[in-house]
Amino acid sequence: MRAQIFVFALSIVICAKAQAELKWEQTTIELRPTPADKQAIGHFKYQNMGDKSVHFKSVRTSCGCTAAQTQKDEVPPGDKGEITATFNIGDRTGTQVKTVTVETDDPASTTTVLTLKAVIPQQLAITPTFVFWQQGEAPNRKTIGVSAAKDFPVKHLKVASSSPDFEAKVSETGNGQFKISVQPKDTKQPFAATLTIQPEGSPKTFYATARVTTAPAINSR
Amino acid sequence: MKSALVYQTLVLAALALVPGIGEALYFHDKISWRSSIPASEMVSVEQARAWGDSAIWVDARPDEDFAHNHVPGAFSLNEDRWNALLPQFLAAWSPSKKVVVYCSSLNCNASREVARRLRDEAQLKNVFVLEGGWEEWLKKK
Repeated sequence: MRAQIFVFALSIVICAKAQAELKWEQTTIELRPTPADKQAIGHFKYQNMGDKSVHFKSVRTSCGCTAAQTQKDEVPPGDKGEITATFNIGDRTGTQVKTVTVETDDPASTTTVLTLKAVIPQQLAITPTFVFWQQGEAPNRKTIGVSAAKDFPVKHLKVASSSPDFEAKVSETGNGQFKISVQPKDTKQPFAATLTIQPEGSPKTFYATARVTTAPAINSR
Repeated sequence: MKSALVYQTLVLAALALVPGIGEALYFHDKISWRSSIPASEMVSVEQARAWGDSAIWVDARPDEDFAHNHVPGAFSLNEDRWNALLPQFLAAWSPSKKVVVYCSSLNCNASREVARRLRDEAQLKNVFVLEGGWEEWLKKK
């Protein structure tokens, strides 16, 4: 019985010691960047609640698009600090989850995974972003659907083709929905065009591609 | 007394290991930040190489990694510069080709995201993710 009490007390002491080291304010941060933002930055704050210094051994990110920085390599007892995770949004859309794995010499928790969740607003949903015709196929019109998000009302849409070989016309179908009708002048030769889609009043430009391919099409639309 | 202490310590240690072992067994092939993808949309290095000229390779890694080295003939297509890079890839794509997307290793997610966007947004068919990515391709070079 004494042995059991001793082991129980020992485990309590170990647990108490274990919890008394690097404490994170939060290990998950959700960010909602605006359409104009190029980066989403999360600040993961911590404090050393223990009685000895904690050293960062490594800080790794799950993606080349995310960089993480520690302010210092050593955190003395009682000291506060933060790890800054910078996520480069690039041309990403939707919800992005990136992680930062932090390794320390803290015996209570050698590895901590910090999660940065960025909800990138999708102003326009374009489907499909690519239309193609087989060489020699009838040059019939194909349609690209455009749907504006509720939070970003779009009244007018401008579309321009990079090549005179393709004609693109926009029509509004209501409730922030548009249709872009694309037609090649002919399909005698392979060629391609980038369609630039510009919502009125938006700083962001969207793109689609139209192409006449050389090979037989298995999925023409 | 001493043996009882050792016994109790071992019992506690064994109990503490149970959830860890269970998680390791159950989630051994799952990494939480990776997008899920059906096995039918994955391809091994051997299979992809066997496709020969009917495959078009897409490198989903950052520009610097692509510039350093890449699968011969591969197109760079990453989400950092999706809008700029996509037209170049589409200009080379043809409906009869299979698309093989890779990123750096087994643990990366970029190839899954690029493959998803090619399927969902560009609505391409026959888009596959390379198992093990660039690391695996190098091993079997």
